[in-house]
Amino acid sequence: MATAADKIGSTSEPVISVEHVSLDFRKEKEDLPVLVDVSMQALRNEFVTVTGPSGCGKSTLLRIIGGLGKATSGVVKFRGTPITKPTSEVAMIFQNFVLLPWKTALENVLFGLSSRSDMNEQQKKEASVSALESTGLKGFENVYPGELSGGMKQRVGIARALALQPQVLLMDEPFSSLDDLTAEHLRREIYSLLINPSSPIQSVIMVSHNVEEIVELSDKSVVLSARPAHVVDIVQNDLPRPRNKKAPEFFDKVDKIYSLLA
Amino acid sequence: MTAFTILGIAIDIIYSWTRMLVALGLSIVFSLAVGIVAARNKKAEAVIIPLLDVFQSIPILGFFPIVILGVIDVVHPEWLGVNVAVILLIFTSMSWNITFGVYEAVRSIPQDYIDLSQISGSSSWQRIVSLYIPSSLSRIAYNTQTSWAVGLFYLVSSEILTLGSKNYQASIGIGVAIYTFYDTGNFTGYIYAIIALIIAVVIWQLIFLREFSLWSEKYKFVEEPRGETKDPLMRVYSWVNHRSISKLFLIAHGSGVSRFTSSITRFKRGFKYAFFILIVLFVGFELGAFLLSPSPRSLPSLATILSYECCSSQSVLVALAVSFLRIWYVYFICVLVAVPLGIVIALHSKLYDTASPLLEVVASIPAPVLLPLFVADVTKNGEAIAAMIIFLGMIWYIIFNVMAGIRSLPAELWELRKGFQVSTYNAWRNIYLPASAAAFVTGSITAIGAAWNTLIIAEYFNLHLNGSSKLLTQVQIGIGKTISIAVQSNPANLTVLTLSILSMTALIVAFNLTVWRRVYHYTTKRFTYNR
Repeated sequence: MATAADKIGSTSEPVISVEHVSLDFRKEKEDLPVLVDVSMQALRNEFVTVTGPSGCGKSTLLRIIGGLGKATSGVVKFRGTPITKPTSEVAMIFQNFVLLPWKTALENVLFGLSSRSDMNEQQKKEASVSALESTGLKGFENVYPGELSGGMKQRVGIARALALQPQVLLMDEPFSSLDDLTAEHLRREIYSLLINPSSPIQSVIMVSHNVEEIVELSDKSVVLSARPAHVVDIVQNDLPRPRNKKAPEFFDKVDKIYSLLA
Repeated sequence: MTAFTILGIAIDIIYSWTRMLVALGLSIVFSLAVGIVAARNKKAEAVIIPLLDVFQSIPILGFFPIVILGVIDVVHPEWLGVNVAVILLIFTSMSWNITFGVYEAVRSIPQDYIDLSQISGSSSWQRIVSLYIPSSLSRIAYNTQTSWAVGLFYLVSSEILTLGSKNYQASIGIGVAIYTFYDTGNFTGYIYAIIALIIAVVIWQLIFLREFSLWSEKYKFVEEPRGETKDPLMRVYSWVNHRSISKLFLIAHGSGVSRFTSSITRFKRGFKYAFFILIVLFVGFELGAFLLSPSPRSLPSLATILSYECCSSQSVLVALAVSFLRIWYVYFICVLVAVPLGIVIALHSKLYDTASPLLEVVASIPAPVLLPLFVADVTKNGEAIAAMIIFLGMIWYIIFNVMAGIRSLPAELWELRKGFQVSTYNAWRNIYLPASAAAFVTGSITAIGAAWNTLIIAEYFNLHLNGSSKLLTQVQIGIGKTISIAVQSNPANLTVLTLSILSMTALIVAFNLTVWRRVYHYTTKRFTYNR
C-alpha cells in the first residue's frame, strides 16, 4: 500500500481539474446562483472529499464532474481534456445504489458494461465476476438485489463501477443510506479497495456530509459554503493510514472542518 | 328533441349529472356504512371484503338488462323505474371502489386515536362522526375522482341501453341526446352534444372534483408520499390500483410464495388452473342449462353446444369462448400501441405536459357515444367495429398505467442510464420495459375487465327510436350479442340471459383468482423498482 508521503511526491498533472466552475439555476427569468467560481483538483492517488451544508450543491458539482450536468461557466478537465459528457474513464457510485431489481448482482454489473463495445461478452463477464469478487461478493453473483442487505447492495454498486476499469471514481454519499455498523465496515475497506497498486483508479472524489467519514478517508477535503456555494477552504489531511479515530490529531481535523462548516 | 339547441343540451347534461350525483351520494353513504363496519368488525370483514371483490370484478353492464326488467316491474311509474335502474347501475360502478377506500382509511387510523376515543368514553356514534368519517374523507375524495370517470361510461351506456326498448327510455339525458341526434341524421347536433359532454367533464373536474379533493386534504393524518398522483390525470387513473385489484383479492394470497419460483412453473400452474376453470364452467353450464330448460329436461350434448346457432342457450359457451378470444386479440393490439406510446410520452417531459391533458380529454369520452362514427356497413364490418369499441374501452388503462409507472421512477435511474452511457435499445430492454411491467399488468387487469363490459354494446347494438329500429353493429357470435338479443326478444329470454351472465361472471372471477392473481403477484414482486 502506498503511504501518504508517496502520494504527495507524485506531483504530475492533476487527474481531475475543476476550473472556475459556476452554475446558475434559471427560475422564472431569474438566475439563482448555485455554484460560484469553484476550483479544485484531484491528483494521482488522491482521495478527495467534497463537503458543505446540506443543499449547497455538492451533488450538483459531482454531477458536473461526471459529465451528467453542465456548468454555466468554467470547465472540468480529465487529464487536460474537458469533460462534456459521461465517459467510461469516470465511473459513478450512487447514494441509493440504483440497482435494477429484476437483474441479478452479476447482471447488474454487466449492465454497467453495456456501452463497452471494445469488450466481448466473455471479457465483460470475466471483468464483472472479478469486480464482484474484489468487493467481497464472490458466491452472490446470481442473487437478486432484493435479497441483499444494504451494504451488499452498495458493494454491487461499487463492483459495477470498478468493472469499467475507470481512472476516476465519483461517489455521492455512498454510505449515507446504510446503517451505522454496515457503513463503518464498508468504510474501513474502501480506501485500500480503491487505491492500491493493482487498481486502475487514480483518483476518488466523494461527496459527504459526515465529517468523521471525511477525516477518516480523505487526503484532501474541499469545504463548500452554503448556497450559493464557493470554496471556503481546502483541508489537506496527511494523517497516517489506517487512521486512528481516537487520536487527538484526528479530532483536530474534525474540529477544523466543523469550524469551516459553521 | 330533434332540433339542436344549446338549452336542450344543457338540460340533457343536467339530467345526466343529476343521475350521477344521486348515484355518487348513495355510493358515499353505502361506502361509509359498509366500509366502516368491515374495518371495525372482524366477522363482518370476512364476509364483506371477499364479496366486494367478486362484485368489482364482474361485468356490471351485463346485469343491466336484468336490473332494468326487474326494477320497472317493481317501481312505478315507469319513468321513475327507468331512472332508478340507471342510477342503480351507476351506483354499482362507483361504490365498490369508494368502499374499499373507506375500509382502508378506517383500518389505517393510528391505534393511538382509537385508544384515545375509548379512554375518553365516547359512544360508537360519536366515534363514527368525529373519527371514522373525517379520516375517510380524503380517500373518499380521491376515489371519487376515479369513480366519476368510470361512472360516466356507465351513465352513457345505461342511458343508451334503455333505448333498447321503446317503452323504457330514460327520455332525457346526454347519452340519449347523442343517439337521438344521430338517429335523426342531425350530425351537427351529434358532434355538438359530444363536445358539450367533454366540456361538462372538464368543467366538473375543475369546479367539483378538484375542490372536493383539496378540501379533503386537511383531514389526512399524515402526508402520504403519493408521487405521481399529484398530477390530476394520474389521480383519475391511478384508481385502477384501488378498483380492480383489491389488496386481498390479488395480493394477500401469494405472500407466502417465494419470489424466485421460476416463471415456468407458474405458467404451468396457470394452465392447470385454466383447464380446471373450463371443466367447472362446463359442468356448471350443463347443470344450469338442465335446470333452466323447459321440460322435458335434457342435458345439452357437447355437439349441440359446439354447433353454433345464435342465440340459444346451447350456444352460450361457444359465444363466451369467442368473446374471450376477441377480447384477447384486441388486447394484444392495444398492448402493441399503448406500451410504446405510454413509455415515449412519459419519458419526454415536454411531450408529457402537452399530451397528458389531451389524452385525458379523449379518454373521458365514453366509447359508446362514438359508435355511430364507425358505422358503415354493419354486415361486413361488425367485427372491426366491435374491435374498435373494445379497443377504445381498454387502451386508456394501459397507457395511463404505463405512463404512471415510468413517471414514478426516481431520477437516479436516469442518472444511471446517462452515467453508464446505456444505449437506447439497452435502456428500453433493461430499464423501461421491466420498470413499467408491474403498472402494465395492473392496467391490463382493469383493461380486460372493462373490455367485458364494452361487449354488451360492441358486439350487438340495435338502436330503437321512435318505433323504428336501426342495427348499428353486430358480430357473428359473442356473449355480448347473446345477452343483448336475449333481452330484446319479446318476451325477454331469461334462460339465455341468466346462463350467459352466470357463465361469463364465473369465467371472469375464476380467471382473476387464478391466472391474473399469479401474474400480478409475480410482476409486482419481480419488477417493482425499489431501493
